[in-house]
Amino acid sequence: MDFDALINGLDRHTLDGITRGSIYALVALGYTMVYGVMKLINFAHSEVFMVGTWATLGTYTVIGATAGQGLGMIIGATLLALLAAMLASAGTALAVERIAYRPLRKKGAPPLIFLITGIGCSMVLVETFGQVLRVFFGPPFGRVLVNVPAVLPTKTVFTIPGLDLAITNTRLIIIFGAIAMMVALDFFVNKSRLGRGVRAVAQDPDTASLMGVNQDRVIMLVFVLGGAMAGVAALLFTIQYDSTKFDIGFIIGVKAFTAAVLGGIGNLRGALIGGLVLGVVEVYASTIWDSSWADVTAFVVLVLVLMFRPTGLLGESLGKARA
Amino acid sequence: MTIITQHTNRLRDRLDGVPTWARALGMLLVVAFAFYLPYLNILPFAYIRTDLSATGTDWASVLFLVVVYMIVAVGLNVVIGLAGLLDLGYVGFYALGAYSVALFGSTSSPVVEAIQSKFGLSEEWAVPFAICVPIAIAMALIAGVILGAPTLRLRGDYLAIVTMGFGEIIRICARNLDNVTNGAAGITNVPVPPGPEIDGRPFFNVSEPERWYWLALVVLIIIIWLARRLENSRVGRAWLAIREDEDAAAIMGVAAFKYKLWAFAIGASLGGMAGLLFGSKQQYVEPNGFMLNLSFLFVAMVVIGGSGNILGVLIGAFLLTYLPERFREFQEWRPFAFGVALVAVMILRPQGLVPSRRRAREFADRKVEAEEAAADA
Amino acid sequence: MIRSSRTWQAVALSAVAGLALTACGTTDTGGGDASGDDCSFKIGVMGALSGANASIVLPSVDGAELALKQWDNEDCDVTIEKFDTEGDPAKATPVATQIAGDDSFIGVIGGAFSGETRATKAIYGDAGVTMISQSATATDLTQDDPSPVFHRIVPYDDYQGAAIAQYLTDELGASKVFVVDNSEAYGEPLADRVEETLGDAMVQRDKTQVGQTDFAPTISKMESAKPDAVFYGGYIAEAAPLLKQMRDAGIKAPFIGGDGLYGSDFGNAVGDAGEGAIVMCPCAPIEEDSTFAADYQDEFGSAPGAYAAEGFDAMSVFLAALDDGARTREDVESFVDGYTGDGLSKEISFDENGDVPKDKVSYWAYKNEGGTLVPDVEVSPAS
Repeated sequence: MDFDALINGLDRHTLDGITRGSIYALVALGYTMVYGVMKLINFAHSEVFMVGTWATLGTYTVIGATAGQGLGMIIGATLLALLAAMLASAGTALAVERIAYRPLRKKGAPPLIFLITGIGCSMVLVETFGQVLRVFFGPPFGRVLVNVPAVLPTKTVFTIPGLDLAITNTRLIIIFGAIAMMVALDFFVNKSRLGRGVRAVAQDPDTASLMGVNQDRVIMLVFVLGGAMAGVAALLFTIQYDSTKFDIGFIIGVKAFTAAVLGGIGNLRGALIGGLVLGVVEVYASTIWDSSWADVTAFVVLVLVLMFRPTGLLGESLGKARA
Repeated sequence: MTIITQHTNRLRDRLDGVPTWARALGMLLVVAFAFYLPYLNILPFAYIRTDLSATGTDWASVLFLVVVYMIVAVGLNVVIGLAGLLDLGYVGFYALGAYSVALFGSTSSPVVEAIQSKFGLSEEWAVPFAICVPIAIAMALIAGVILGAPTLRLRGDYLAIVTMGFGEIIRICARNLDNVTNGAAGITNVPVPPGPEIDGRPFFNVSEPERWYWLALVVLIIIIWLARRLENSRVGRAWLAIREDEDAAAIMGVAAFKYKLWAFAIGASLGGMAGLLFGSKQQYVEPNGFMLNLSFLFVAMVVIGGSGNILGVLIGAFLLTYLPERFREFQEWRPFAFGVALVAVMILRPQGLVPSRRRAREFADRKVEAEEAAADA
Repeated sequence: MIRSSRTWQAVALSAVAGLALTACGTTDTGGGDASGDDCSFKIGVMGALSGANASIVLPSVDGAELALKQWDNEDCDVTIEKFDTEGDPAKATPVATQIAGDDSFIGVIGGAFSGETRATKAIYGDAGVTMISQSATATDLTQDDPSPVFHRIVPYDDYQGAAIAQYLTDELGASKVFVVDNSEAYGEPLADRVEETLGDAMVQRDKTQVGQTDFAPTISKMESAKPDAVFYGGYIAEAAPLLKQMRDAGIKAPFIGGDGLYGSDFGNAVGDAGEGAIVMCPCAPIEEDSTFAADYQDEFGSAPGAYAAEGFDAMSVFLAALDDGARTREDVESFVDGYTGDGLSKEISFDENGDVPKDKVSYWAYKNEGGTLVPDVEVSPAS
């Protein structure tokens, strides 16, 4: 145990944790919104994220973006990749809803069944990139880790004087990108007309449909929004880690789901807080002990939080999240 | 789809009319056939075997694994199907069962070595298998209670994530605690059940998997019998009430928490029992044998088969274990096909392949409700 | 209604037919008969032929197949049967029981990984099936718990740990090595051994886990330890992001890994950040102009990959046994125990535990240059 290492570099470790947690938080949004509206855990959401990372790689490959190019290319390629990842992820989320969830909703099946079709969809998507596309197109598809070109090079932008803490451009983009997306989404759900529909269905689906809210459209909207957020997360992930793999979604998915529950599932701001707290807890634990204990620590913290606050840090409910 | 439902219903009605003696005889025949299964070699039935192709796997070994997973499915069915609690960490109990027998019964386990040196015992000494069995079941049961006591007050979906975390914690601890579990390398020399020696070899050895299969089958039959008794007991009815409406059940005087804890503990000990059989047959346990995906597979077995119905979950466990082994020639395509099958089966038959009668009726009701709601909207 | 039930029957019927078809041509349910002078045998290959780790195993299987193809023996009819275990010990035991129960199998090449080998050694031992592993390197397989039937073409990990430490101190002149492992049965003992051999030359040790992508905590530990070399015991999927994040953070220390990183995937996964990274492997380099490389290229359309030569050698030993007149499992076992001969990878022989004899142990350091692993220097830790 090395508490000194934690205390000495507390600023640094907190920043590392927030960077890691920002990606959890963006993915967690997808879980939390779907849960808020449908009271269901969308197990295929981790793969919605994974598809986004491949869309990023695909965009770079198509436009020929590699490491070490000019500023115009960097900005252009990154923005295009962002768009592609958001579209691909949102499209995947929508497809999952249409194929695996809507038929069940029409039959009034209980949540457990959605869980199994979600797991099924997740396997199909994972195998699509690990096997099906490999058979037809060969590499980079397959079961090995793939290098995504570092189109956006990591550079130190400034150093916080007293703390000797180097802030890199990728860190800034990830943290501010995640927070900006979160604020935009929060604004959309709370202020726009469509967002009001989402909140109405989350509060009381029956009354909402009596009031003329089209439930199917709201559900589609929720999947598209959650998917787009996972797409943003996918781009930020490839910027930070420069790689993807067919099964990269699984662990991020588990973590993001944990983050959503930690913050209070169904609560957008909860997802942000949950993601950041989870990231920070993991990094602290990895510093005190080592990374092999990070998951155990994270789950123990989750259980402790749930014992004292049974509905997570900020409490649940998308409907009531107006404050 | 309604056609199939009608068919199964008709079959069921017909079975209801059969006299008790005939039903007992039929059951006996089924059991006898199950015991004969490793030797089944009459065409065309022999096509069910997994060792037909040149690179097939041993049929009796596959049957053993099928039965072990059936025990798991029956145990998890108590938690999910009867009490309606979503447990995504069932693999944790399975691992505890396997690890208990390894930790206390193997001569190469650090725990046994510590006991040996502390009490000056010989290097051959280890806890006998017969004592490992209650230890394994007790460990799983205690873990079930320890996990359940603080978390069962949580609502369904929170329970899912907490149990999932529990399953991971068990695996990670088994991997990291090198001084207790021998870490990631795992423990070899896991003991086998006692039995008469034949030709100088133990009765349960690595070369005669059919004996292991029969042993597991006997355990499974006992567990099915117990589970059926439980289902129709006072406890079973309490679970049903909780599953349907916890608040209403509580008002009617059902101590929800107590019965939920019971379900958790019983399910956990059955999982431990299955793990014990697996670890002992394998004679080797290692943490990577208990990954999170296995938990999802277990839940899929219960739900695909028809949660709440023992026959259903048995069929679910059989199909999800057997089919990938039978169709080994498709190699890399199996997981893809598995995913497609999960989605297709659930959409076509959300109540499971062989649902319990009560469940089937509930589904029919819910479907009508959903259609009415859709018509209203 | 009538039509529907017909459809249902048709579905059922075609399902049965499908089941029957896939089984076509093979109604033998094992227990083949192989007695007398008849020389018709099967040799099994057991390993991860599908899944994430298949790329480390498949070249050795191809190598074995090539050896069989080039074999010239009029009297014998030998086939190679490939069994997929996905590298999972639980899936390997039914395979081993199947091979052990079928007398026409006189030997097995594998297990490719140590876990599956640990789980199946007893089954093969019980049936007297000789195993020659092309790549299972865990130390305990022969040192803690030796089995008379188990042999391997590659030396065990204690030597590899020593070789890596030797390379770090002698070739790189490192005195502050940062050691990282992946907490798995492969990486952890290897890192333990590196640590042990390095002694004071190790500055800090850290653990990570499989599936991890963010290594920030490890990186910040490195920043404060200021190592002059970094060793990682693990696999490519985690080594690549770790190495990239190291380079991003400006840590320029040389990076070295064990044979878990050896393979054609390494260069693709690490990209530019992996330039100059070292991979230590017991696999001897195959000269590009050798007949083996040319034949392999002709047969499989690619250059021989990881452990291809070792797979070839394992098969060659079995075939030599048949040439020598071995016709039973006992014959094969006693022939293999006493075998000495030139192999592609090294001079092949086995000591009393089935290991590579101490004086034959040697390793090669490969350097990643422009995405390919180029042999750099030979290291002999035992001498």
